[in-house]
Amino acid sequence: MQMELDKVHMKVAVLLKQVPDLAEELEVDESGKALDTEYIKFRLNEYDEHALEEAVCLKEAGQATEIVAFALDGEEVDKALFSAMAKGADKAVKLTGPEVEGSRQAAALFAETLGMDYDLIMTGVQSVDDRDGMMGPMLSSMLKVPCVSVVTRVEGKESSVTVHKEYFGGLMAAFDVQLPAVLGIQAARQTPRYAPVSKVRQIQQSAIIEEKSASGVSGSATSKVTTMAPPTKTGGAKILGSVDELMELLKKKGVA
Amino acid sequence: MLSSTEQIAFVLLVLVCGGVAFQGFRRIFVIVSQGKPSYRTDEFLSRLIKALIEVGLQKPLFKSRPIVSLFHAFIFFGFSFYLLVNFNDLLEAYVSGWTTIDSSHPVALGFNLFSDLFSILVLIGIIYFLIRRFIGKPRVFEFNRNVKLQTKVVGGGIRRDSLIVGIFIILHVGSRWLGTAFHLAERETTEWSLPTASLVAPLFFGWSGLETGIHVTWWLAMGLIVFFLPYFPRSKHIHIFLAPLNLAFTNREAKGKLLDPVDGSNPGAATLDELPWKQVFDSYACIMCTRCHEVCPAHQSGTPLSPSALEINKRYFINQHVSGLAKGSTKLDLLKDAISEDAVWSCTTCMACVEVCPVGNEPMQDILQIRRKLVFDARMPDELSDALRSLDEQGNSFGESSRKRTRWTRELNFEIKDASKESVEYLWFVGDFASFNQNCVENTRRVAEVLNEAGVDFGILMKEEKSAGNDARRVGEEGLFDALAEENIKTLENCDFQHILTTDPHTYNTLLNEYPSKGGVYSVKHYSTLLLELILSGRIKIIKPLKIKGTYHDPCYLGRYNGIFDAPREVMQHCGVELLEMPRNRINSFCCGAGGGQVWLKEHEEMKQRPSENRIEEALLLNVEYFTVACPKDMTMYSDAVKTSGNEEKMVVRDLIDYVFEAMDLPEDSRKSIE
Repeated sequence: MQMELDKVHMKVAVLLKQVPDLAEELEVDESGKALDTEYIKFRLNEYDEHALEEAVCLKEAGQATEIVAFALDGEEVDKALFSAMAKGADKAVKLTGPEVEGSRQAAALFAETLGMDYDLIMTGVQSVDDRDGMMGPMLSSMLKVPCVSVVTRVEGKESSVTVHKEYFGGLMAAFDVQLPAVLGIQAARQTPRYAPVSKVRQIQQSAIIEEKSASGVSGSATSKVTTMAPPTKTGGAKILGSVDELMELLKKKGVA
Repeated sequence: MLSSTEQIAFVLLVLVCGGVAFQGFRRIFVIVSQGKPSYRTDEFLSRLIKALIEVGLQKPLFKSRPIVSLFHAFIFFGFSFYLLVNFNDLLEAYVSGWTTIDSSHPVALGFNLFSDLFSILVLIGIIYFLIRRFIGKPRVFEFNRNVKLQTKVVGGGIRRDSLIVGIFIILHVGSRWLGTAFHLAERETTEWSLPTASLVAPLFFGWSGLETGIHVTWWLAMGLIVFFLPYFPRSKHIHIFLAPLNLAFTNREAKGKLLDPVDGSNPGAATLDELPWKQVFDSYACIMCTRCHEVCPAHQSGTPLSPSALEINKRYFINQHVSGLAKGSTKLDLLKDAISEDAVWSCTTCMACVEVCPVGNEPMQDILQIRRKLVFDARMPDELSDALRSLDEQGNSFGESSRKRTRWTRELNFEIKDASKESVEYLWFVGDFASFNQNCVENTRRVAEVLNEAGVDFGILMKEEKSAGNDARRVGEEGLFDALAEENIKTLENCDFQHILTTDPHTYNTLLNEYPSKGGVYSVKHYSTLLLELILSGRIKIIKPLKIKGTYHDPCYLGRYNGIFDAPREVMQHCGVELLEMPRNRINSFCCGAGGGQVWLKEHEEMKQRPSENRIEEALLLNVEYFTVACPKDMTMYSDAVKTSGNEEKMVVRDLIDYVFEAMDLPEDSRKSIE
């Protein structure tokens, strides 16, 4: 039994993406089709952070041997990759190449770079800036491997993983997935850990981020944004100070 | 004089007991020196002299518990004099004919008088302490039930130790005193210079056992002290030697400056030997008086933190594993053996424990070291990591975009200078709370309006300002503190200003005390100081004195940390606010509960009463209407506390700036309306 456990050799790729920080006041640019990204901060996509956390948990549980973090090139991506290493990724790779538009192209880039070198590919179930949730499934179809999305827990075995998937209404299912496979992570088993700045800084000095360029030709049509606009403000709620005020308002509205 | 057999027996006793005691002291030295550097031995002689003077005057004791301290002083002065008495008694035992009793030499008479009176004072003192501990059983000795304690502490180890030493002192001093009475009885005389011994001496006139009695009392006095030597290194009563030394090792740097990690790649402490050695030494100096947890806002509010328990646990663990620790084969795991993780996260870093400790202990420093380690290993409550992430990503702990930092200025009807572009006299470092917190922004605007009205040349860093990092450092995120400090210093390098101004004591503390070692040396002023200067120079004109009564709450990081007590009080008085002091004021101020990152953390589930609510209760007893603060975090803590404690009708929380604003009679309705 001990022998078998020792044989577990699972190489995990975690796919990361920088997205606009939702703390920012988001504005649409002049084209009316995209976010104005000039003045806003970027941060790691929240779901990708969970994917990374679950991968690190797998490694800590002795069910994964190596974690490589991949990220699309973008704003402050180096910081995100160094943080990933501070949290427990063994290597970090930055994908340079064409600017990525849409999840299909991202999937193509990743498919080209990752190939069949990894036993498990984990990424966020969706990213906060497109909400497609399609990158994982598309990547799996390009690589012709299975895919499960909305995953909340992963347990590694020798040549497969058991994953928990969340359905609407809180229904849970457990899947046994043959490796290699792609997983879209909804939430890690625990809150994603914090990367202490001093650790990130140490890694920054000692580790390097590998760069890989890929053409990322997806070869088929993709969707395009036609317009983008913030929601229009409609009314709002008001806290009334007294019963009198309420009565007056009701009278004015003709209710009382 | 002793018989020659007795003389040889005494020498043998000294050799054996002294040898065993020496081994104990040697181990203390070994265990303490395993600690990390502390930088507390520079100018050692001056440190020691200062400490001895303080001990001689019993100054550190009278910081609290005055009655207990008085009885302690009885014992202290008595025992100090007893060094001379013991020396005299040795001479008496070994030098034929040596005695002070028959002498009429003034030195001998003085010696007799003091030894007689001090014996009584020591006995009174020790009996008081025994009665207090065993009959009075004061609640301050009790630990909250959720506090981690070593099993032997739970088993009553401290009480036993106290009893043993109490009995020892009674026997040692009592026997000596009785022996003197026997000497008098032997001579069938009384002496005015031995007033109390002379009272009992006549009872023994003509008693046949006097000769034996004199020998027995000598052995009970002198033999006992030697016999007890090996016990000292194991007992809390080692404090008589190590407390003065610990006071000599006191921190001579600014109180608000934390030590940089010795090794940045492995910061903080998980085990005893990873603490700075001063923190190891603390546990030996500790007399377990629990004064620290009496003033601790965390312990008082029912959380599992007792700074006292931390020191006691360290000491008890050391006692039980002394040889293993000295050899390095045993480690004291701080979180397993000394303090629980949730206790570590309950500390507000108010420093009351450090300030009150009569033996110079610094339990707060242990906690900060443990936090550094925990944060480096990413072990922390989720809400804390959220705040730290936000500080890292946006430079503020509110999870807000850095661009919203200046939002509070939009309602002002004048433009504030951009200090990153224009030269200013005062660069106002606004700080996170004053910039973002809804309870604070109105006061922040008032500060701007008052400064503007007084014609002060000031500006702010706009969205370039980042949290100064005081609290990030206090939760143990050393790397983040470095990063924030570096970024702020870089920004400030390109600005032209004479002073930094801030309303936030936490920001004030780190800018003043910690930025210099990171390369940023500035003249930093708290707004209370500037307001007072402006009032005194007539640039702020008090038109309408307020004629109200208020009390003032000293913020920890302004008062205890940085010694600013008077400026805010004087500003209040100039504005016509009659000041009534709460019992816990100035250096003894009671923390609001927000410091050290608590403001980001959830309350401990076993918290019984928030420190801020406890403070409001204290203020209510004064029958004042206004509770005055001079710290943005206090504004939000106490505004909440008056509401949650149901005292909104009775107490109004006001910032210092409110008084100035109103006494200047500035218009309330000059704001732009912003939708």
